[in-house]
Amino acid sequence: MKSKWMLGTSLLLTTSVVLAACGGNNANDSASPGASASSEGSPAAVDSGSGEKVKLTMYSWRPEDADGYAAIIAEFNKTNPNIEVEFKPFKSTEYNTILNNTLQSGTGVDILQLRPYDAAIALADADYLTPVDGLAGLDQIPDSYLDAARGSDGNVYGVPFMLSNAVIFYNKNLFEENGIAVPETYEEFLAVCEQLKAKGITPIAQSGKAGYLLSMTHAVVGNSAYGGNEFAEEVISGKTDFTDSRFVDSIQRMKDLEEYFPKDFIAIEDKDAQAMFYTHEAAMYINGSHRLETFEANEIDFDVDFIPGFAPSKGEPANIVAWVDGSYAVAKSSKHQEEALKFLEFVASKSFGQTFSEQLTRVSPIAGVEPSNALLQSMAKLNETQATPYLILASFNQGAPTSKTTFEDSLQGMYLGKLTPQQVAEDFQASVAKWFKPQS
Amino acid sequence: MRGLSSKHMIHLFLLPALVFYVGFMIYPIGSALLNSFYSWKGLLRGDFIGIDNFVRLFTESPYKETFNRALWHNVLIFLVLIPVKLVVAYALALLINSKLKGKEFFKTVFFLPKLLSVIVIGYLFSLILNPTYGALNTALKAVGLSSLARPWLGDPDTALLSVILIDGWAEFGFAVLIFLVGLQSISGEIYDAAKIDRAEGLTLLFRITVPLSLPSIMIMTILTFISAFESFELIYAMQGTSGGPYYSTDVLALFFYRLMFGTAGGGDSIGLGSALAVVLLLLISGATAISMFLFRRKEVDY
Repeated sequence: MKSKWMLGTSLLLTTSVVLAACGGNNANDSASPGASASSEGSPAAVDSGSGEKVKLTMYSWRPEDADGYAAIIAEFNKTNPNIEVEFKPFKSTEYNTILNNTLQSGTGVDILQLRPYDAAIALADADYLTPVDGLAGLDQIPDSYLDAARGSDGNVYGVPFMLSNAVIFYNKNLFEENGIAVPETYEEFLAVCEQLKAKGITPIAQSGKAGYLLSMTHAVVGNSAYGGNEFAEEVISGKTDFTDSRFVDSIQRMKDLEEYFPKDFIAIEDKDAQAMFYTHEAAMYINGSHRLETFEANEIDFDVDFIPGFAPSKGEPANIVAWVDGSYAVAKSSKHQEEALKFLEFVASKSFGQTFSEQLTRVSPIAGVEPSNALLQSMAKLNETQATPYLILASFNQGAPTSKTTFEDSLQGMYLGKLTPQQVAEDFQASVAKWFKPQS
Repeated sequence: MRGLSSKHMIHLFLLPALVFYVGFMIYPIGSALLNSFYSWKGLLRGDFIGIDNFVRLFTESPYKETFNRALWHNVLIFLVLIPVKLVVAYALALLINSKLKGKEFFKTVFFLPKLLSVIVIGYLFSLILNPTYGALNTALKAVGLSSLARPWLGDPDTALLSVILIDGWAEFGFAVLIFLVGLQSISGEIYDAAKIDRAEGLTLLFRITVPLSLPSIMIMTILTFISAFESFELIYAMQGTSGGPYYSTDVLALFFYRLMFGTAGGGDSIGLGSALAVVLLLLISGATAISMFLFRRKEVDY
């Protein structure tokens, strides 16, 4: 009897300890606004409001950014002490499903990270988002970036906050040791690959198991073949389509580079490719600017620099592939529209851009933000004049299956000898034609 | 009066299970069926379009090619798994059931992979089969068989077979266990009676043991069929959502996943995905019902 009573008590005790611990965490979470409220350094800017606290829930697909966002939200609370923002991240691969379910149920999310381009169109058209046209600070963001958050009605539904570039990273030490000059044109690039190969170094650490890395490499090495923005406009206006010889040429480049990729690259994963780059086994590695963070985390023992892309001919500037990786949007079902829009105004401000860029080593689309990382700085500078879209991601990612996946799978098919570059282009065009109507 | 009410009380106890069954089985199946008859634009349900989604799935490019290829792969998985899970597992169960020493040890060893998560198995074998540093290729080269070394999962000729065999390796311990239970339930008296009639060796095996194991053989066949047509996790973990390389390991469940969740959220994919889900349901439940009917007629009793 007594032992039963003891068991009951200890169970109760354990439960209360666990509950208290949870409560403690909550207290920590809400500590930041409280702390900043006490440091009223600039009372003029502080929005005291009615004094009632509002809590906003913010969905994100980047759990790894939690620490950075603690700093960003603290920055926001300096001017808005009464708005508490809870950063609620989900696993990237599960984010879309969770977000869709939450939006359908109509409660639980106020601010959300919006995937770019076609994903944004889908949510905006389903009437889940509050339009943000005319938001203070939005006019400071170039139109081409706002396109990432535009619905098919032409309204803007989100504030772009994260830019990505795809570039060719290279091992600077390895280049210098072997007396290799940084290539400017595609022809020079091929010569460099040949030189490296002759020295027993794998020129490009490319992996082909996950198709998205193939289309990213295609965007970087191919845009100068099909002619970047000009070609994009021609396709969108219906003047040409993807069976155009310029586009086929860009796929041919992918085929020609095969001999400079690792052996059996179609079976290796990105982490294997990274390992080759880190261990000096390979000299170049094509990926997004977010990989700089990975390089830092892996403490690589050499200097990295990047080649943005290829110049059409020597002496001309090369384009850099740039796209918006995410925007912030407000859920239409949120009960705190005013406060949520206030946070979006903050996202469109330079103060957010600077904190974001420094905390998370990313490029911000807000004008005048200087990243602290030197490579990001030069990417940000190139973005201002030489940006070319990641065409297939930005404009041809619709359909079921999406045209982008069709393209990637067909590229795999090409490397396995099942398709010619011409056929890859035809497959892609067939998939695009299913849903895309040229705007002429 | 009291007796009657407590009799009805019994039905009340079924309620919790019923609620879960309806909520998590009947309702999703019903809504998938309903959704498959509508046109979709992203997350918005459009007009009722009858069997249009089904017609498109079977006649329109690239859906019909993908469907046929994936279905064929499912059939292949079934055909390869049947010998592994029935013949090999049954033979091992017979051995374990004999007076072999250390049979408990082998029983545990065979069952061990089943305890590992599919994701862990997928990851382990991705490492073993890795083309650059994988253990299998390294071992082949070490014994002078470098001509056999290949990118097992990256070569369309070997990828599917590799994945199927890994699946067989992970699952056959379960089959051994099921067969063992069946073998142990065969009464020793029947063998004694047969021995008096001078039956021995193979006659005993094929006239007594196998016929009396038919119930467990039937269950394993049906379970293998269902798992072959539901294959998803291992291929997803090892080869990604497209069943790479170039669809060489694509199966129906992956195709369904791509239609339902693999798009950027736009298009008509929910209708097509629901239609495919309905087709899969009919295929699996239909074939299961037929095979159960056939097996029932063959069951023997001594």
